[in-house]
Amino acid sequence: MNAGPASSEQPRTYIRFDGALGVIENLFNLIAAASILVLMLLAVVQVVGRTAFNWPVPGFIDITEQAMAVFAFGGIAYCQRVGDHIRMEIVLGQLKGRTLWIAEFVGVVLIWLVITGLVYGSWFHFQRSWLLGDSTIDIGLPTWPSKLVVPVALSLLWLRLVLQIYGYWRLVRNPDAEPIAVPVIHDVAETAKHEIEEAFGEDPAEFGRGEKA
Amino acid sequence: AETFAQDVTWNVSLWGKRRAFTEHIEKLAELVDQKTDGGFKLNLSYGEALSKSRENLDGISIGAFEMAQFCASYHADKNPTLTVLELPFLGVPDLETQVALDKEIYSHPAVQKDLARWNAKLLMSSPMPQYNFVGKGDAPKSVSDFEGMRVRALGGVGKAMETIGAVPTTVTASETFQAIDSGTVRAASFAPHAHLAFKTVEAGSWWTTNLNPGTVNCPVVINQDAYAALPDNYKEALDSSVDEAIAHYLATYKKVYDKWYPTLDEMKIEQITFEQSEIDAFKEKAGKPLWDEWVKEMSAKGIPAQELLDMVQSKLN
Amino acid sequence: MTPFDIGLIMTGVLLVLVVIGMRVAFAAALVGMVGLIAIFSMRLGFEKGVITALKMAGTVPHSKSVTYSLSVLPTFILIGFLAFYAGFTRQLFEAAKRWLGWLPGGMAVGTVFATAGFAAVSGASVATAAVFSRVAIPEMLAVGYSKRLSSAVVAAGGTLASLIPPSAILVIYAILVEQSVAKLLIAGFLPGIFSAFIYVIIIIGMSAWRGDAPPVHGFTWGQRFASVPGTLPIVSVVAIIFGSLYYGIATPTEAGALGAFVVLVTAIVNGMRGRQLGQALHETAKLTVMIFTLIWGVLVYVRFLGFAGLPEAFKEFIVALEFSPWMTLVIILCAYAVLGMFIDAIGMLVLTLPVVYPAVMALNGGEFVSAADSSFGMSGELCAIWFGILVVKMAELCLITPPIGLNCFVVAGVRPDIPVQEVFRGCMPFFVADGLTIAGLVAFPAIVTWLPSVM
Ligand code: NA
Ligand code: NA
Repeated sequence: MNAGPASSEQPRTYIRFDGALGVIENLFNLIAAASILVLMLLAVVQVVGRTAFNWPVPGFIDITEQAMAVFAFGGIAYCQRVGDHIRMEIVLGQLKGRTLWIAEFVGVVLIWLVITGLVYGSWFHFQRSWLLGDSTIDIGLPTWPSKLVVPVALSLLWLRLVLQIYGYWRLVRNPDAEPIAVPVIHDVAETAKHEIEEAFGEDPAEFGRGEKA
Repeated sequence: AETFAQDVTWNVSLWGKRRAFTEHIEKLAELVDQKTDGGFKLNLSYGEALSKSRENLDGISIGAFEMAQFCASYHADKNPTLTVLELPFLGVPDLETQVALDKEIYSHPAVQKDLARWNAKLLMSSPMPQYNFVGKGDAPKSVSDFEGMRVRALGGVGKAMETIGAVPTTVTASETFQAIDSGTVRAASFAPHAHLAFKTVEAGSWWTTNLNPGTVNCPVVINQDAYAALPDNYKEALDSSVDEAIAHYLATYKKVYDKWYPTLDEMKIEQITFEQSEIDAFKEKAGKPLWDEWVKEMSAKGIPAQELLDMVQSKLN
Repeated sequence: MTPFDIGLIMTGVLLVLVVIGMRVAFAAALVGMVGLIAIFSMRLGFEKGVITALKMAGTVPHSKSVTYSLSVLPTFILIGFLAFYAGFTRQLFEAAKRWLGWLPGGMAVGTVFATAGFAAVSGASVATAAVFSRVAIPEMLAVGYSKRLSSAVVAAGGTLASLIPPSAILVIYAILVEQSVAKLLIAGFLPGIFSAFIYVIIIIGMSAWRGDAPPVHGFTWGQRFASVPGTLPIVSVVAIIFGSLYYGIATPTEAGALGAFVVLVTAIVNGMRGRQLGQALHETAKLTVMIFTLIWGVLVYVRFLGFAGLPEAFKEFIVALEFSPWMTLVIILCAYAVLGMFIDAIGMLVLTLPVVYPAVMALNGGEFVSAADSSFGMSGELCAIWFGILVVKMAELCLITPPIGLNCFVVAGVRPDIPVQEVFRGCMPFFVADGLTIAGLVAFPAIVTWLPSVM
């Protein structure tokens, strides 16, 4: 995808960075997906074990809660890459050219700011559980591994945002350039087309690069 | 900023709604306000508006609010020393004794040091009676009838129940009614006010009057820096109000009991009283061995565990 | 400036950010964080205030995401993505056609039940519209139905997804307002059926009057019963989830997991491959992280509101209004209908509920009010459930209204011969039906509250 003409205008370092980051993001999302399957199977074991054999999974709620961090945060950077975090596009959809890229640029910078703050804050949340101790209510699992997932996943998102800041900046400077590695807006009809493709699997979203760009 | 400002407002982080369990804090706010002519106010926030209950110590440590309530068993590793008060079968006879015991333990240097890691200073306890069981179906006639029974019991109580063959099963408090009603668990342990709040009495058919396997310890703490920054007369107003606040709490909790036994009768809940010899046998299995295990585990962490346990026992005998 | 003023200003800023297109989760988190910085700076000085605010905001994502009741969400979402591979759609339509085709507009009636059933399980209203456009529209056109009716019924039928369990949006509502997830899911069942029946009545009435949708005869009882087994997977998923929650045999997460397991097995039996399973899981992970981000992002803002005391103040404002409680409720519901035209349902709920929900509860007389003392004639708990169903129904309505009713665009997209205006026009009667449904649920709250109150 994104295989434009190999001209000297192609920002090669940027594309390479995007690709490398994409590999990590895909891996994180894959782990998140796997954790959902495991959670489902564990819950089935829990119900069957409890009703048929009087053997509930010990500390099932504790285990589930701590493991939730994996699928609650694992795919966050991936989701930002493909532009799936929801927003209202009705105003943005009216904008064209440089105005649009400036709006997108400012939006991503704001997200980058808040994620910077949250990486800092969630790191200290992890650090307290690591240094001072913390454990779950029922079977006393340590909570720090789960808390560590947050700053790690948010850091990956932070890197993705840095990349998108550059991506939109590039378009602000040259609005006619081809958008590379940034999500672009579709109007309702295009969104509908996309939904239809997904429903019929004509464009199977692969585990690889799924950008709408 | 507080050096020149007369007025001080402290935010207090609480969970749930106002209930018997929070009445001492309400009283404390009232007394402090009176004693300082409204200069020192406690602003009580219920319903986890300022923090999730399990993260109240984090909030104190950050300095996001100045006062909070929490329970030791919510996160044993955050407050290992306090778990001595949650060991099974300590044999605390009544809430007055629990208050005195808590006060003694809270003033032990090792305990204070434990909480100081969170920048927290222990102010007072929220004493709760023994966690007994409300259950459905055939009532246990003897302690051995718990064998194989799925029960909702946390922390030390859960461990104690395991020694008699019960199967502790995780169910959140709010799901307990459904869980008993549908047979996901047969019985659940709470203090009476919580049995009322979570409506287990509506699902259950029996109640254990004297199993008394243990309780949960829930102190009120304040931020050390905020306390240090208080003008002396405010400090005095706060410290001097604790005893009266606790007295008010105990009076309120008595009213819970006034409601508790009539409710049991009204709901036709059978009151199960076990033979003393059976209770002694249970205590034999779940008391001393679990205490020893606790001492071993805590000593390994560098906590003067034996000393704390001895202190508890000397207070009770 | 008081914390309350800061709360008001930052809420205004949030609205602006959302309207101009910042991603909702991060807009809410940003506003919450800046608000916390302002409040703590006033108390502790700027430098200490910033650090305290960032650390406070930084506890929210983990603390609020790692909550057992939320773990039901990925299981419901997984059911949805697997449902496509389990091949439920055509069999369901076939059964509906054979059993209901003899009615005036019978194929359309069948389509309502088939789309509603499939959408209920898949939870994906838009995708349902896409699939059934292919399955149902050609057959309806073949027997002489008008394009307008056959396309509209497909677009509208999918909107019943959110009420019938499993329903991710009801889970999100329940968690945001701290009510029982199980009760909310159970409560949606009858209104979902009720809503479907209002659709059916409208279709039969219109068809009998206009005569543009002739009945289809000639199916034998043998053919009818032969079509039943094909519907079993979908019926069993709804039954497993509804039954295990109603009888309290399993927690919502466990029920969702059992449902997902059944669909997974069905899908494998029907020929799903590992690659497709991977794809379904991948899509599940993506949607799950989107919803979790939205939830914790908004909860950072809610944490700030807690320190600012804003919900408390808005509550007092609403209660002090001159209108009667009923009138105020109707105004609030209308506001949701308007809002729903411009923003996705989940986004709308998470953004507004932190402030609106306490106000509605206060209108009724408080969270712990008894039915006798309340304005709407129901206890606080039941009012919370009832309001949730109403709001979710309002949100669904917007999938078939202009300007961005996505279901209509999808149907028009699958059928290039049917212009989108035609679909919107065809949806008008269903829009009226939804209005009647909501009026019915407001006038007879028992439709919502009966099942959860006897659980
Ligand atoms: Na559904
Ligand atoms: Na719309």
